[in-house]
Amino acid sequence: MSSRFFEFFCPVKVIAGKAALEHLPWEMQGLSVKRPMIVTDKGIHQAGLLEPVLAACREGGVQIAAIFDDVPPDSSTSVVREIATLYRDKHCDAIIALGGGSAIDTGKAANILVSMGGDDLEQYSGAGILKHPLRPFFVIPTTAGTGSEVTSVAVISDEQRGVKLPFTSSFLLPDAAIIDPRMTLTLPPHITAATAMDALTHATEAFIGLAKNPLSDAYATAAIQKIGQWLLPVMNDPKNEEGRLELALASTMAGIAFSNSMVGLVHALGHATGAKCHLPHGVCMSLYLPYALEYNLEYIREPLGELLLHLEGPERYTQTPPEQRAESCIAAIRALRDQLHQRCGLPRTLEETGQVEFSQLEAIAQLALDDGAILFSPQEVSFEDAHALVRRAWS
Amino acid sequence: MEIRPFQTLTLRARRFYVGAMFQVMGRALQAMTEVDGEACRETRQLPPGFLFEMRVLPSGPVMVVEHTKDGRLRFLGTDAPRPINLSIQFKHMVHAFRVVSFQEKTAIAFANERMLVDGDIAYAVRMTRVLNRLETFILPRFLAVRAVKQYPRSLGFVEKTAGAARIYLRVLRNLIGNERPYE
Repeated sequence: MSSRFFEFFCPVKVIAGKAALEHLPWEMQGLSVKRPMIVTDKGIHQAGLLEPVLAACREGGVQIAAIFDDVPPDSSTSVVREIATLYRDKHCDAIIALGGGSAIDTGKAANILVSMGGDDLEQYSGAGILKHPLRPFFVIPTTAGTGSEVTSVAVISDEQRGVKLPFTSSFLLPDAAIIDPRMTLTLPPHITAATAMDALTHATEAFIGLAKNPLSDAYATAAIQKIGQWLLPVMNDPKNEEGRLELALASTMAGIAFSNSMVGLVHALGHATGAKCHLPHGVCMSLYLPYALEYNLEYIREPLGELLLHLEGPERYTQTPPEQRAESCIAAIRALRDQLHQRCGLPRTLEETGQVEFSQLEAIAQLALDDGAILFSPQEVSFEDAHALVRRAWS
Repeated sequence: MEIRPFQTLTLRARRFYVGAMFQVMGRALQAMTEVDGEACRETRQLPPGFLFEMRVLPSGPVMVVEHTKDGRLRFLGTDAPRPINLSIQFKHMVHAFRVVSFQEKTAIAFANERMLVDGDIAYAVRMTRVLNRLETFILPRFLAVRAVKQYPRSLGFVEKTAGAARIYLRVLRNLIGNERPYE
């Protein structure tokens, strides 16, 4: 599985830990930012997560010039245009994205418009279209799963044409990502579980995929170790600040890993299921992870066996015969899902979600075949294979 | 520093080989969608008039293929009559050479970021499957296993040999200019 060639790139400054938010003013001043704008959503505002950011900026001598707090869960080009208009009206000079994947993607897309000019976002869609750096951009994630703070991708819906516009450029990466445990302390249990399983899937697919490389491996294994160690303690004690920080770091590390080695079959199936049945992304990841690993087992036996060490620790690893480690790793993931199901009802099968019809499985399998992530699956996937896999995940 | 003639010759030979392979692949793609139902099922999902190209950056060989209708592809040579819908671009001639000389699998080349996709990624995935199927047909098995991720279990010797013969025959007829069925 070792790759004789690889590329690795992550220029994002990661500022993590207690009182990390209070570093934001200093970072902005270093880039001559005087009038930043915050892009967030109503849920963040209502959860009281905006206040600590405002307080940190105020005390640090930076006045927030505008706040847009109406980012929807599936952001669109019209929302991005609205943000760009507000940014220009208020003479802002930087964007702070505060929230989960949607707020961060929206912030990235808005930064394209305010930096490149105009209101037509579509002209910048695609890979490598942006040719020069954008305005200062900062990200404060409030979930621990997407890793969007360290990825060079954004996806925005074009509601008029009914398509999703992808944007890929290293210039979308923020100048700094602020990982502060206060931002994830109030995450509800089911979101904590689903987003952590999302991060676990990012790291696992990064470690077993065709584009794995030594540097992404280092981030992936560290992320898996943190999730294995801290997810259940945080589920038991949601106010565990140390555990929250470790999960947030795991998400960022998994993000760095998968943005440099891509994801695979779990994501292909998850994207298709999300599109057809509107299931949350993290839930889809949790649903398919063990089944996709089983499907690829004979092609990933060695790296998957190694993951047992990082997920379950050295004692379990050394007690398990080498030829059984890969299967044990899958069993450990299944056991983790069972624990999460007990604690917050995170579904383990498609049937348990209550949102998927058996009759949709064929369409899900068909759609997954056209997902870009499937290219990085170690084993080739046919329609029959994908269909059999989603049927196994049914119940 | 003066460039030695040997180096120039090597570069020219590499460029010629990649260009020749693109010519063969383009014609073989056209032929395969005339004889293979599975390939045709894949390409039928492309919009009629869809233009696909493979290109070597910055100014290397090009292969342009059009989806006419009903899954049939037509090789257009190196020039597109209108803007391309999907372009797969090799970053460098050496990368293209490694893929078309079967030193690097197409999937690994994608993983190693040797190629860029400009266009709808879903169509790119579909065309990659079609290219893989083409390689399993037209290459001897020992070469095909080096080109694709996994050699398909379902492709038996008789089907492969018969399919390859029909594809090569059509490529040959196309090369000598006797068959342009969609013009």
